[in-house]
Amino acid sequence: MTDTQTPPVTPYRSTAVPAGRDGFVQLLRAEWTKLRTVRRWGLTLLGAVLVTVLVSVFAATSSKVQFAGGGDRGPEPTGPGGVRIVDSFRYAHQALPGDGTITVRLAEFRTGEGSTPEWGKAGVLIKKDAAPGASYAALMLTPGHGVRLQNDFVHDRAGSNSPAGEPRWLRLTRDGTTLTGYESADGKEWSEVGAVTVPGLTGTVQVGLFVASPMVDTMDRQFGSVSVSSEPSRSTAVFDDVTVDGGSGDWRHTDVGEQPGGDGQSSGPVGGEGESSESGGRFTLTGSGDIAPAQYNTDLAAMSLSGTQLGLVLIAALGVLFITAEYRRGMIRTTFAASPRRGRVLVAKAVVIGVTAFAAGLVASVASFLIAQPILKANGHKPPRFPELQLTDGPVLRAVLGSAVLLALIAVLALGLGALLRRTAGAVATVVVLFVAPLVLVTTLPIGFAQFLQQFTPLAGFAVQETLTRYDHVATLCLPEEGCYPQGPWIGIGTLLLYAVAVLGLAVWRVRRRDV
Amino acid sequence: MSEALLTGAPRVTARGAGRMTGAVHAEWTKLRTLHSTWWLLLGIVLCTVGVGALTTGSLSAGDCLARRTCDEDTVKLSLTGVWVGQAAMAVFGVLAVTAEYGTGTMRVTLAAIPSRLRVLAAKAVVVAGLAAVVGAVSVLGSLYLGRVLVLDAGFTAEAGYPPIGLGDGATLRAVVGGVLYYVLVALLGVGLGAALRDTAGTLTGVFLLLYGFPLVAAMLSDPDWEKTAKRLSPTEAGLSVLATRNLEALPIGPWAGLGVAASWAVGVLVVGWAVLKGRDA
Repeated sequence: MTDTQTPPVTPYRSTAVPAGRDGFVQLLRAEWTKLRTVRRWGLTLLGAVLVTVLVSVFAATSSKVQFAGGGDRGPEPTGPGGVRIVDSFRYAHQALPGDGTITVRLAEFRTGEGSTPEWGKAGVLIKKDAAPGASYAALMLTPGHGVRLQNDFVHDRAGSNSPAGEPRWLRLTRDGTTLTGYESADGKEWSEVGAVTVPGLTGTVQVGLFVASPMVDTMDRQFGSVSVSSEPSRSTAVFDDVTVDGGSGDWRHTDVGEQPGGDGQSSGPVGGEGESSESGGRFTLTGSGDIAPAQYNTDLAAMSLSGTQLGLVLIAALGVLFITAEYRRGMIRTTFAASPRRGRVLVAKAVVIGVTAFAAGLVASVASFLIAQPILKANGHKPPRFPELQLTDGPVLRAVLGSAVLLALIAVLALGLGALLRRTAGAVATVVVLFVAPLVLVTTLPIGFAQFLQQFTPLAGFAVQETLTRYDHVATLCLPEEGCYPQGPWIGIGTLLLYAVAVLGLAVWRVRRRDV
Repeated sequence: MSEALLTGAPRVTARGAGRMTGAVHAEWTKLRTLHSTWWLLLGIVLCTVGVGALTTGSLSAGDCLARRTCDEDTVKLSLTGVWVGQAAMAVFGVLAVTAEYGTGTMRVTLAAIPSRLRVLAAKAVVVAGLAAVVGAVSVLGSLYLGRVLVLDAGFTAEAGYPPIGLGDGATLRAVVGGVLYYVLVALLGVGLGAALRDTAGTLTGVFLLLYGFPLVAAMLSDPDWEKTAKRLSPTEAGLSVLATRNLEALPIGPWAGLGVAASWAVGVLVVGWAVLKGRDA
């Protein structure tokens, strides 16, 4: 490099350009500049936010709660931890001042007229007192799910898969606040079901036998209409060889709690009052009701985010246009000439459109939630029949953030489709057919096909908007009409993520191989 | 394209009926020579028949027939694919107009045929004709597959479900109505395309119209609002023509519903014509 030599010249390359301008950060900046400077695209984003919020608010405004039976039923019983519960059953019990053990042989467990509830319950129960909502632990046999050890309404542990038709020995031992369940086929060889700690079981508690038989939901679902009917069931359990170590006082027979009235329509005992009798150490209990967490039917958080279903059309159009507009105008050639590593260009585009859609989606879903909640409350969706939701609650936060992620993933998926198809019309139509048409159709399709769509197509992403807690140990109907996705929120959004990544990957592979 | 213009040229001077046929011929040539037209039309048939077959194939009559209350509308289920195929049909109608704006052909077209009404009418005629043919193939194909699959699912004559056939008045109404509905969706696309001109914008608009209404209607928990929304929706009202059972449960009567869809299509076409007439190309 002496001054006498002519330096090697690259006249077309300005020295002002820093090295590494093909870096990923520069790519991101380039793509962001493209997105930012097209005014129509900014308006589209604004439109997506507005459509989402307006539709959500509209849905909230139109929803009114109708009390069929009329009047409030007073506060719903709540269990330990404030969970809304159902707690009504037939109980034959005596006092247990200290530690002790109850051992019984459940000789017979049969359901009366009507359908068999899969979560009917018969067995032994130790409960703080006979008031609904009091802390408890129970070892039971169920018609559909074998032996279970349950405590404090929300906890459930499985024992053997013994059928309800055969006699079964059950034993529950109290040692302070630790309760241990055992089961046996013959009363000689015992196996432990499990041990649970129930903090509420201090001092004198009640020990005894119980039977509960929940409502059986049946569903008639036709093209475009669904009707769910609940009928009460009634079960009878016969116990013999009942021994209680440490018990004191006489046996008492109680109908714990009020029988559940279907959706507040009736307040009297639905299944009739329980009956029980004792003769020569043989107990026969008949009753209805259930000991379980109560389920909310209406997902208020999902309801206040429902505008996402329409906002996605605009986001999808934007995602598609972000690449197809370049193909249309021939701009893509300039883009690829400037940065020949095409895969990276596409990834940079995906990052930019994804982050932008996430930001817009977040604004839209937070605004929808905050505006829709007071409206819903004013329309009658308030405690005690409906939960009070805060933006900071775990499930609500998941739904609100999840809706933004949902829109971001839809944008990325749309971008990938746009890169694959290179045509605006085809790509937009595909996204709409993938998301919007199934959303309309799930309420009318046969339930098997509808749930297939909900689980295995990109539609699954909408599961993230669900906030209702579903317990495995309560029989519930999962209806697409009610926005129930069978797989749960995380798997749902994960499915959509897989689709988005797969389509983007395919697009990267295709763009690298094909001429522009 | 150029040939059509050349052969059309002498007719411009001749007054009378020849002008309209010339315009229609030109539009037909334009549509016919695009690959995308035929792909789209194939897509419509496949979407309609495929989704219909998936729906009827997933039917399980077993648990349903046990209860006497179950009353599935097998014809309507067989034609579920129309809900999806209409998206492709709308694209077809929209592209017939917006593709010309995208490439600038529209200026040539309007220079050759200065009457905006005639251009739009010619487009509408050609699009409607193709839509009717493709619609008929799709609907009849779905119905044929539905007939087979529904029988497989156990919806037999003994169970109170006579085999699906065109001899039944309600089924014939569903078929004719389904084809007409497809024509109306395509015309809706043409009208909106003429009004908005931009492909992406028009498609977003037409999809929001077709699918947004039923989605919003489903969100409304007040039954009166829901019914009103369904009556106004071109899709929900228009597709009530596919029902053959439980007509009283529909938000609107079959033919009246198709009338709602037709009003939408005509209304949007008029707006499209007004924009085409009032605005520079």
